[in-house]
Amino acid sequence: MTVFPRTAEVADRATNTVPASTSGERPGRTSARTVVLTAVAVVVSVAFVLPAVWILIGSFRPNLEILTSWSPLSWRLVIPSRLTMENYTHLLVDSGFARALLNSFVVCIASVLIGLAMSAMAAYALAVYHFPGRSAVFAVIVISFMVPFEAIAIPLAQQFTTWGLGNTMTGLILPGIGNGLAIFNLRQFFLGIPTSYREAAMLDGASEPRILFSLYVRLSGPALTNSALLIFLGQWTAYLWPLLIVSDNRLQLAPVALAGTFGEHAADYGQNFAGTIVLTMVPAISIFALQRFFGRLSVGSGEK
Amino acid sequence: MQITRRRALVGLAAVSALLLPGCSGGDGGQSGGQSSGSGWSVPTTDPTATIRVLSILNLKGQMQPVVDAFQKAHPTIKVDWQTVPFDALNSTLDARVANKGGDPDVYWADQPRISALAARGEAEDLTAAFSGDKSKFDATAYDAGVYQNKLWALPIANSTQLLYYNKSLLKKAGLTNPSPSPEQRMTWEQLTTDAAKAKTAGAQYGFLFGQFDRYYQLEPLPVQLGGSVGATGPNNLTPDFTSDQWVKAFTWYGSLFPNGVSPRGMKAEETDPAFVAGRVAYMVEGPWLLPQLQESKVDWGVAPQPVFQGGKPVTPTGSWSLAMNPFSKQKAAAAVFLKWMAIDEGSGYIKYFTAPELAANIEGKKIYFQKDVFSSAEGKNAASIIDYETSHTAVNRVPTIGYIEFETILNQAFADIRNGAAAKPTLDKAAAQLATAWKKYQ
Amino acid sequence: MASSTVMREPAAVRRRRRHERRHEIFWAVVFLAPAVAALVVLRVVPTIGAVVTSLHKAFPGGIIPATFAGFRNYNSLFTDPNFVSTIVRTLVFNLIINPLQIVLALLIAVLFVQRIPLVGVWRTLVFIPITVPMVGSAIAWGTALNPNGPVNAVIEVLGGKPQPFFTSPHQALASIMILASWVGIGYWMMFLISGLQAIPEELYDAAKTDGAGAVRTFFSITIPLLKRPLLFVLVADTVANFVLFVPVQLLTQGGPQGSTTLLMFDAYRTTYGYGSRNLGAAEVVILTVIMIFFVLLQFRLLREERTPT
Repeated sequence: MTVFPRTAEVADRATNTVPASTSGERPGRTSARTVVLTAVAVVVSVAFVLPAVWILIGSFRPNLEILTSWSPLSWRLVIPSRLTMENYTHLLVDSGFARALLNSFVVCIASVLIGLAMSAMAAYALAVYHFPGRSAVFAVIVISFMVPFEAIAIPLAQQFTTWGLGNTMTGLILPGIGNGLAIFNLRQFFLGIPTSYREAAMLDGASEPRILFSLYVRLSGPALTNSALLIFLGQWTAYLWPLLIVSDNRLQLAPVALAGTFGEHAADYGQNFAGTIVLTMVPAISIFALQRFFGRLSVGSGEK
Repeated sequence: MQITRRRALVGLAAVSALLLPGCSGGDGGQSGGQSSGSGWSVPTTDPTATIRVLSILNLKGQMQPVVDAFQKAHPTIKVDWQTVPFDALNSTLDARVANKGGDPDVYWADQPRISALAARGEAEDLTAAFSGDKSKFDATAYDAGVYQNKLWALPIANSTQLLYYNKSLLKKAGLTNPSPSPEQRMTWEQLTTDAAKAKTAGAQYGFLFGQFDRYYQLEPLPVQLGGSVGATGPNNLTPDFTSDQWVKAFTWYGSLFPNGVSPRGMKAEETDPAFVAGRVAYMVEGPWLLPQLQESKVDWGVAPQPVFQGGKPVTPTGSWSLAMNPFSKQKAAAAVFLKWMAIDEGSGYIKYFTAPELAANIEGKKIYFQKDVFSSAEGKNAASIIDYETSHTAVNRVPTIGYIEFETILNQAFADIRNGAAAKPTLDKAAAQLATAWKKYQ
Repeated sequence: MASSTVMREPAAVRRRRRHERRHEIFWAVVFLAPAVAALVVLRVVPTIGAVVTSLHKAFPGGIIPATFAGFRNYNSLFTDPNFVSTIVRTLVFNLIINPLQIVLALLIAVLFVQRIPLVGVWRTLVFIPITVPMVGSAIAWGTALNPNGPVNAVIEVLGGKPQPFFTSPHQALASIMILASWVGIGYWMMFLISGLQAIPEELYDAAKTDGAGAVRTFFSITIPLLKRPLLFVLVADTVANFVLFVPVQLLTQGGPQGSTTLLMFDAYRTTYGYGSRNLGAAEVVILTVIMIFFVLLQFRLLREERTPT
């Protein structure tokens, strides 16, 4: 990190101030309010996660049982007659899913690293600088995420094939790095960082890249996480694009591989659910971990 | 300081100039494959080549033995296998063939869509190379690949439907088992009554179609009553499913659901597991149920698919064919593969495929009936029913270049009827919708 | 940016200001170039291509070359009563589901910034639906809302009548809304939580000492300071709901009786199902224009003041 004194001081004050989320109660005194709120929180969370839990349970069941266990309604809906790992073993060992998973990882991580850096730079420029054409650029960014990807997928795929990017990792990664929503999100956040911070840093003699990466980025934990998530999820759930651009099965991505569990006449729900759980775990665990990591950062306090 | 704006506009213009021609729907290149059998034929000696095959089947656990057998018979031709999910085949195929790169060389083609594929220029003309082999196939299967008197695809599989029944559930309701003889075919009317009885006696589902709301499954119903297969006129581009026979057939179909003889909301993938779990009294389904039944505890029997009172027996038919990409750069090698899969050794695909698959090839059918799944008593019944239906009562789905719109809109209409809409107005509305969709072909 | 009110500046100051401007523009270009280049090549140019495609007509499939047709595609779309009712249906769908999802997301976000134990766990659980692949979600909800399924069974136990859900033209679209909201709310909640966490503690303390109640505080402090993330969530949610089609594809195929045929689903089916790329492109152009209109409206409504320097 930088050693510019005034910048550091301002940033430190900003990050160490108690954020609004921890308002209210003194620790150690549980009030009726907390109990009620916690109860509501539990009910809401359980309601949301219930269908996913059903899928989780289903992934440990024999395939046939999944479809026959919900009607007529009985405890069998949630208690399997026997637990089995066969769905996971078939999926990960026998089919090509494990490889597809690895491909998806590589594509997603690369997309996030490149895309986030590009988005942060662009968002910074849009939030902080005033230059002719600023609105035009912003319009380009907004339009870019408003046009549904399905509308441009075919011509884009043809273009990529012409450029020799068919069946390549690059071809899979590239469309994911241009994410207008990620830029938009960061720009909104950067707009909220008081310009006095930047001016203080400039008085210290910091260069623009330094201001961006050492000051703004340090203050933007949650926003960066969210933008990273936008890019990550966009690539993690990509289905149409890999179908169009990849014909070599060794390069295929996880969602396409998962769709292979549905055949012409039969559907292997058990394997499908196992794959679904695996695909859910990665972003779910990431967001949980990142929350704890970035949860306490805040901006806007420590101004005066 | 207009640098930024100007630079952006120039860049935009430059890139647009580069990319726009490619985006506006294609120019140049051959008008795909309309010239018949241009410059290739089934070679007498194998070329050395790699061909790419696009299929809905996986290599691992399914097609590996087939590909291995092919490689053994033709060692200089390497096969590069590509799998797409079943639901994505048609859209992916469109995009890949239209790339004009020749990838894939051979692909799985849904038989009723072959006319549409040919009209779009997505299939290579096979007439010169393969029309001489016509007699090797079941007539309906071969005809499915014919459009405007030319052959565009070779059938590698076929299908039919049987009436499966659960003996224990029938016994509980005091019902007699239907006869496996085609001469003593049950009627739909009788089936409806019996299925209702079975449901009252404790079956969770009285009667299931293997694929509710699908034209594949339901096409025989109006045809049995003398109605058309759904389209008529020049090139079969005039909707014809609003006749009295269609209304009668689908009023019957819709009547299955309000009293719960058949369930609403059950999807095609859910029907097989329900029967295999012993919850269904009667089910009309294809031969692919047989291997699943072998491993289940259900005491099952088979009979021919029912017919309407006074109607003539008609059964669903059709499955997959192989077509060649007109932009393929390895047509000779692809032709060798096509021939081996559909014709050689009675159909290499049928012979070596891990699961039993009903052959379109007459020799292949014999191989098929040797499979273990037909060894039991009921299995033998199934074999003779399948053989009879594919040779006598099968009627192809309507051949039209507008098949995709036809099937989509009609399936929607069937779903609406199943969910309670009256047959006549629903079919009328669908006919109007289809007429609009088909305007572009007139 | 401070604009000088002094009529005449010393030359040195003018020179420095010019230098600063050039400095800004230089860095603006450097920082924007990668992103803008990527977006132009990967999004803008194909979009222009799609517009051009919509002005042509071709035999389905994409191999036979297209011919220029002007606005013929748009004409045939707007004279098709089914298409017009699709547009209306899409508008109604969005006018209901967008505010619904945002309000719910906001309420849950407010709940989850309170100091309650294990708040990170609850947030993650509500967030999980967006991480579940859509096929799995569709199967789960298709089963849950099946006429013979668990939800109806519970309704019957509680004394109600079983509902048709996806099999009824009156309930199918609402059922899709439930599924879409289940997926989306947790997602938008995360953005709103970040926004809520950025509101300084002092403001709430000041309000409390002024004697303002919870509701008053919410509307005079929280909402105004949430404008920026709220704009993002509104716009992103609008877009997400306008381009929604996968649940329809997996569960209802646009039925029953066309009641769930949303514009994006229709466009997707036309392009990828029927292979009519030109007509499908026209549908997408129409969809995008409608979206732009709503998005502009939202930008106007939530117009922010610049942060004070």
